[in-house]
Amino acid sequence: MTKALLRFELAAARNGRTAPLFAAGFALASIAIALVGLAAGGTIAVQGFARTSISLLQLVLWVVPLLALLTGAAAGAECYELEYVAALPGTRSRLVISRWAAWLIALGAALLVGLGGAGIVIAIFAGTADAWTYLGLLVVAALLLSACLSVGLALGIWARSRARALALAIVAWCVLLVGIDLAAIGLLAILPAGTATWPLSLLLLLDPLDAARALGLGLFQATAIAGPTGAALRAVMGGWGALFLVVGLVAWTVVPLRLAARTLGRRDL
Amino acid sequence: MIELKGVWKQYGDRVALHPLNLVVRPGETVALVGPNGAGKSTVLRILAGTVHASGGAATAGHHRAYLPQRLGVPDSTLVADLAELVAAARSLPLDLMHQALIATGLAERARARLSELSGGQRQRVMLALATAGEVGGGALLLDEPSISLDVEGAEDVREAIEGARRRGAAVLFASHHLHDVACLAQRIVLLVAGQVVAEGSLPELAAAAGVPWSAGITDPPIERVYRVLVGRSRAHSQMRVA
Repeated sequence: MTKALLRFELAAARNGRTAPLFAAGFALASIAIALVGLAAGGTIAVQGFARTSISLLQLVLWVVPLLALLTGAAAGAECYELEYVAALPGTRSRLVISRWAAWLIALGAALLVGLGGAGIVIAIFAGTADAWTYLGLLVVAALLLSACLSVGLALGIWARSRARALALAIVAWCVLLVGIDLAAIGLLAILPAGTATWPLSLLLLLDPLDAARALGLGLFQATAIAGPTGAALRAVMGGWGALFLVVGLVAWTVVPLRLAARTLGRRDL
Repeated sequence: MIELKGVWKQYGDRVALHPLNLVVRPGETVALVGPNGAGKSTVLRILAGTVHASGGAATAGHHRAYLPQRLGVPDSTLVADLAELVAAARSLPLDLMHQALIATGLAERARARLSELSGGQRQRVMLALATAGEVGGGALLLDEPSISLDVEGAEDVREAIEGARRRGAAVLFASHHLHDVACLAQRIVLLVAGQVVAEGSLPELAAAAGVPWSAGITDPPIERVYRVLVGRSRAHSQMRVA
């Protein structure tokens, strides 16, 4: 049943324009970043994987959550229109999970095509040194995609209407992008020096985007630019921090998904 | 078997359906008729499980098939994908779905998208999937099954519904097409403002409405029966308000 539902949802996701546009956009942006990264030094050449990955991380942190939240929110609100499918025996919670999985596969494949295409160009022109950091970036992007899709779906199911769901998704994106950082800065200002590290580390759990940023920068050992929460995490947990962040991102996938399935199961369509 | 025991539904302050008792036995077709907002779709949705009743008990068994007014399935969906989904949900072999499509003469359209089918073809496909396999003891819930269909399409739909009934399904459908109601239903339930105002066979309702009726002529009299009963019910409720 779940397989058939996933196939059904995947066909719907595949037939839309979102995934191909996302793939093309990401490929172009990645190649452009790889090319222009050295332009400041007066050179136009393809830069290597390590430098490109750091530049691309910022793009991933902005674009992936926005797209995933919007797509998830629209897919969540759409659940109320799927009366025929929802009335099939035992499908409500499976419908939510299948929608999430289908969009994760569709957008994940688009991400892979986009970043993979750019990766091939980089490998040809700049060599394969530090290619693993690029792969690491893909994993971080996939974890972030999964978490934000789940949050988007929960918001869409909670909102019911498509317009309200999309508006909520944009608000959520803004909060995740800057809201938690502002809270971290506020905490730093309020708490006595030296006592903020634990609360700041825990703040990472409240923001999948910040968690992905800290995880991504950890890949490149770029602690200096990991932000206040990322630096605090490193101080508190050392090498275990990465695992803590991965668990946090997985929780951001599982918890909203369960809430979404429960909400849809209790509501009238 | 379909059974509703004191089922009612309230949306906010508005009571959409007053306590309703209804039984549809295997091999029986019952029609829900009434003006817009009478509660017909609410009854079907409660039985299909897409809307929760505010009270009472509703059952349509595990082997139920529901065809809502608006499918809500993306137009880009392939018939074959939909068949696979329904087969999996109803624990039926995929071959049975294929045979059902062959019976409707639409097997060659299995790789077609829903958007490539006409309204009649689409409804025939959905009914074929809903009634595939063993339907005896199961329930068939249909909301406006022949809406926006041409004469031939509506005839096909009537044949499919009658076929399912003959094979032992309990059929409950809502319709504004009173000709379908007259042709298919053994019993008619007339709902107005969420309340049952009349129930019985067509001759019984005709007698209650004081409309002359004879077997074999189904179309014009039933519309008169309907108008009289709805008009009487509305006049009655206005009198109560006054």
